[in-house]
Amino acid sequence: MKWAKSWYLSDVILIALIGIFFGAIFMGTNYVYDVLTAALAPVGLAGLANELLLGLWCMPGMLAGYLLRLKGSATLGELLAATVEMFFGGQWGISTLISGVLQGFGSELGYIATRYKHYDWLGLTASAITTTLVTFAWDLAKNGYFKLQFWLLVLYFIVRFISMFFFGGVLTKLITDLLDRSHVLKSTHNN
Amino acid sequence: MNPSIKLLLLLVIALEISFTMIISLNVALVILAIIYLGLHGTKLKTLAWLLVVPLLPAIGLWSTQYINGSGDKTLMAWVLFTRIYAFVFTGATFTLTTNILQLADALEQNWHLPSKFAYGVLAAYNLVPKIQHEVKVIRAAGLMRGQQLSFWSPQLYFKAILVSINWSQNLAQAMASHGFVEDAPRTHYRHSALHARDWIILGLGIIGMQIGVFVIPWH
Repeated sequence: MKWAKSWYLSDVILIALIGIFFGAIFMGTNYVYDVLTAALAPVGLAGLANELLLGLWCMPGMLAGYLLRLKGSATLGELLAATVEMFFGGQWGISTLISGVLQGFGSELGYIATRYKHYDWLGLTASAITTTLVTFAWDLAKNGYFKLQFWLLVLYFIVRFISMFFFGGVLTKLITDLLDRSHVLKSTHNN
Repeated sequence: MNPSIKLLLLLVIALEISFTMIISLNVALVILAIIYLGLHGTKLKTLAWLLVVPLLPAIGLWSTQYINGSGDKTLMAWVLFTRIYAFVFTGATFTLTTNILQLADALEQNWHLPSKFAYGVLAAYNLVPKIQHEVKVIRAAGLMRGQQLSFWSPQLYFKAILVSINWSQNLAQAMASHGFVEDAPRTHYRHSALHARDWIILGLGIIGMQIGVFVIPWH
């Protein structure tokens, strides 16, 4: 496990803490999801609630990848967030873990494609695209999307990408810009 | 049973039902999970709660297929409805009978996960109540300054990350000062054993699942 060597104990704790913090914040958004699902279910568009908020749930992975800049940080960040969510009784049971790995690896692919060098809009956009592609492929099977009518698939795909780009891209950039301006990131890795 | 093997079996089952469309199989898995949970003394109230938790997403998936699906809409609608219940109940057989400490021990001792990952995550996990409290503190502090921090406010996440950086360094230093050395060999107080019995259960579980998917003609 060569990649593991570049990780410090404080990195592992940091990434886990961020995952849990985000999970605690997301718990406050469950009502948004519930209200949207309940409102959209009668017209058969309940999936839109999921598509609109998915970017938020994929944010820990994209942010961890951008923040720590270590190989595997996006995957691990999202997996840890998912593990904690499962232990706190999420709505998706055991599939949370599979989704977590895939969402994290999807984000990681964007950074891999840009060779872990582009921590800018290019890297974030690539990550948003790959996360959308990987998670959508998984939902074709898991949520039975492959049986849906084509226009709905296109709509879901577009909404999902916008959500990924807004939460994983724009919001991540705004957050990390604040961190840059406060100069706190230089002080990591001193243990 | 070894937690890592149990998790592996459940992940295989979850992956397999994601690609199959057999309603009875999903229902059978839910029933098996309920029996398992019952044998482990799970309260009826908890089981009832598990029925409520996925109801809304399940109805959402059902109606989406029923109204906007193609092909055999009713079949697919019920497959997805029962599938989410299968996910939640099989997941509960793990989360309600195993804690994250046992899982971390098994992954570290039986699968050679570097100890910094096992103990680092545990250190963070034990702060969950404090983290939930801290989110409230950050929000209240914002309100005092007239800032409404919502889930789309970068400031909310920024402050959460600042706290995380601070705590992660404190925790890492605390662990180091108690003798934790990264990548050094460790002795163990709690032992996690991997018996032949665990492998047999895993094998039987996987074979049973294949019989359920490919052999039994469900109706």
